[in-house]
Amino acid sequence: MIKIEEISKEFKEGIRSKKIKALDDLSLEVHKGEVFGFLGPNGAGKSTAIKILVNLIRPDKGKAFIMDRDVNDTGVRKHIGYLPENPYFYDYLTAEELLWFGGKTTGLSSLTIKQRADELFQKVNLQGARKRQLRTYSKGMVQRAGLALSLIHDPDVAILDEPMSGLDPLGRKMVGDIILELKARGKTVFFSSHILTDIERFCDRVGIIVAGRLRLVDRLDNLLIGENRLEDTFLREVEKAGGGMET
Amino acid sequence: MWRLPTVILCITLVMVHIVSLGKISEQVKLLPQGEDTAYVIPTPILRITALEFRGLASDFLFLKALVFLGSTNERKEKPGVKTWEWKWLYHILDASTSLDPYFFDPYYFGNANLTWGGGLIEEANMLLEKGIRHRNWDSILPFYKGFNAFYFLQDNETASESLMEASRRPGASPIYASLAVKLAYKEKRTENAITFQEFILQHTEDSQLRKEYETRLNALRGVLYLEKAVVEYKLRFGRNPQKLEDLITKHIIDNLPPEPYGGNYYIDSHAQIKTTSESQLIPHPHQH
Amino acid sequence: MIALWPLAVITFREGVRNRALYGITLLALLLFIANFLISGMFMQEIGKVAVDIALSAVSLSGLLLVLFVGINLMAKDLDKKTIYMVLSRPISRFQYIVGKFLGMALLIVVTMIFLSMCAMLSIEIIKLAYPNYFQRFSWPMIFLALSFSTLTMLLLSALAFLFASFTSTSFITLVLTVIAYIIGQSLSDVKALVEAPQSVGIQVSSVTVKLVQIAYYLFPNLSLFDIKTQAAHGIFLTTSYVFWVVSYGLAYITLSITCAALIFQRREFP
Repeated sequence: MIKIEEISKEFKEGIRSKKIKALDDLSLEVHKGEVFGFLGPNGAGKSTAIKILVNLIRPDKGKAFIMDRDVNDTGVRKHIGYLPENPYFYDYLTAEELLWFGGKTTGLSSLTIKQRADELFQKVNLQGARKRQLRTYSKGMVQRAGLALSLIHDPDVAILDEPMSGLDPLGRKMVGDIILELKARGKTVFFSSHILTDIERFCDRVGIIVAGRLRLVDRLDNLLIGENRLEDTFLREVEKAGGGMET
Repeated sequence: MWRLPTVILCITLVMVHIVSLGKISEQVKLLPQGEDTAYVIPTPILRITALEFRGLASDFLFLKALVFLGSTNERKEKPGVKTWEWKWLYHILDASTSLDPYFFDPYYFGNANLTWGGGLIEEANMLLEKGIRHRNWDSILPFYKGFNAFYFLQDNETASESLMEASRRPGASPIYASLAVKLAYKEKRTENAITFQEFILQHTEDSQLRKEYETRLNALRGVLYLEKAVVEYKLRFGRNPQKLEDLITKHIIDNLPPEPYGGNYYIDSHAQIKTTSESQLIPHPHQH
Repeated sequence: MIALWPLAVITFREGVRNRALYGITLLALLLFIANFLISGMFMQEIGKVAVDIALSAVSLSGLLLVLFVGINLMAKDLDKKTIYMVLSRPISRFQYIVGKFLGMALLIVVTMIFLSMCAMLSIEIIKLAYPNYFQRFSWPMIFLALSFSTLTMLLLSALAFLFASFTSTSFITLVLTVIAYIIGQSLSDVKALVEAPQSVGIQVSSVTVKLVQIAYYLFPNLSLFDIKTQAAHGIFLTTSYVFWVVSYGLAYITLSITCAALIFQRREFP
């Protein structure tokens, strides 16, 4: 479903032109119907990789494909649902209008939008607030609205950047349930997180990225054999990479 | 409980504000207002700074002129308005009409005040000329230019030309053409002046100006009456009277007409009827 | 292209609900009321002054609208990262620019229509109070002046888009747009001034003259759209003038938006 081929990306930091290598020769594959967890410390390059998939950033080198189509093909985003790390929405729109926008831009009819919106608002528990302007929403509500927006068009691929951030335990359970439901319906889910327990709960496969390079990709079961905890594996990879804390 | 002190503080501050503002306003009035404060920004710069609000700026400048002249009414000293202040008035009206050359009020107001009040006939005519050029549907501005030429500059040729131009404009009164013709002849000066002034009075609404014009008309009529009497005296006795009382003693007239400015009519060495209030009748440019 | 219209709609909604819009409208209404008091202070040309004030109020409000609501709509996307919610949909960069501009244009046109109606009402009320002082009056010219004002605002917002496509903050966009407005309005007069500086008694170097002449063709000549004086005095314009000015405006808008879209294609959002 998702193919990332040798992607590299450098950023120039400010006017001093200090170059930062955000991604270094990253290659990755996510198969249809699987839940892939993208794990790494802060600043590892998770968001950068995800933004390349959604064509918000263009790689210096390498290519990325979703459903065998290049990511810079506008049409491919009809089948992607993207939830950014800290979603911001237009202040004065209501959640309902937000979903209307999401649906219309992917070619849905008003009736379909209405039906799906009802479902989604139930699932993310925003039924009561759907007609209120987004600027009145708490951080958690914004996150849930963003999730609804990313799923309104029933995409085949869900790309979620830190979907649990800002949510209380109830919210996190809700998101988890949604991810599992997507999996049960045969959808592909690619999500990034630095919270290990979330990764452990849903993923089929895990990829560990540190300082822009992919260190380890494996099935979750393999990583949890015996007394092994994901945390140990993670910390080991981080140390191997030489620290891992953002400099 | 802390509300009361806050309220008292607020009231005190407001009172301080009002009192100090009043005091300062008085002080400002006492400050010397010299010619250097009367600078008017050159027109091309004004146009640029006004951006797309030129019409509004033009209105504002004219309002400034109106207010200024109105404020001089309160002045006690004579002359009420100094020469440099008249010049400033001209520049401000010039600026206003440069921003909007179709604006009638500054032309009218400027002409009326710069001539009678300030004696700046040439400036008034320059202003009028701008208006004549742009307001090509307007017959009254060339009329006023003609009047100025006739009355103040004693230039009948220009007067006649201007009146001819006025008569060509839409809505022109038939009087313009006939006056233009009459002025081609140099005689009958007082009669023409009366015709002019009657016409102007007819079209003036401002009560202050009307009073002025009526007084002047009365004076001119008095002069004409006496001129006609002098002509009759000459016809009968073959020479001009030495003094105006001779007209009464020789029974040409019963009494001298009252001079509306409070002065006296007299006959000069060239047998011209004059009045001691000449300056009010015909202000001269270098008066003030 | 289906993504264009929904984007325009939410852009419009976002703009219409902006609090600043209420402030601007309130300001305009206050000016229209003041119009009655101020125009009565004049002598003969009360009509001209009434039209001056009403049209100027609309222009000023339009300017504030573009600077504080319009730029906000576009540049805020970049400042506050709300652009992610839009660009993650199947919408190309080009459609994004056009869709947003369409939304902004709709907002400007709707607001200007509302303000214009209030302006015309204000003039009509004064006309009823002082019927004899409206000598040369022309509703068609006033309507044309208001339309041209609207076109000016659309042009200015197209320029704002162009600036926003390559600047990093909405503040810089604001400053550049204000500068463009000032240059656009004063260009004709500055050009006349530097080509004949003796009228003010200053001297201008030939470099300055050349620069101004270049700027004349680069920046939009906004004073061409300012026909308030003609509207105030009921002076008519020729059909060819109207035709060419409108063409110039539309061409400039299209050019700006196209450039903005091209620049925007290359932009990234880390």
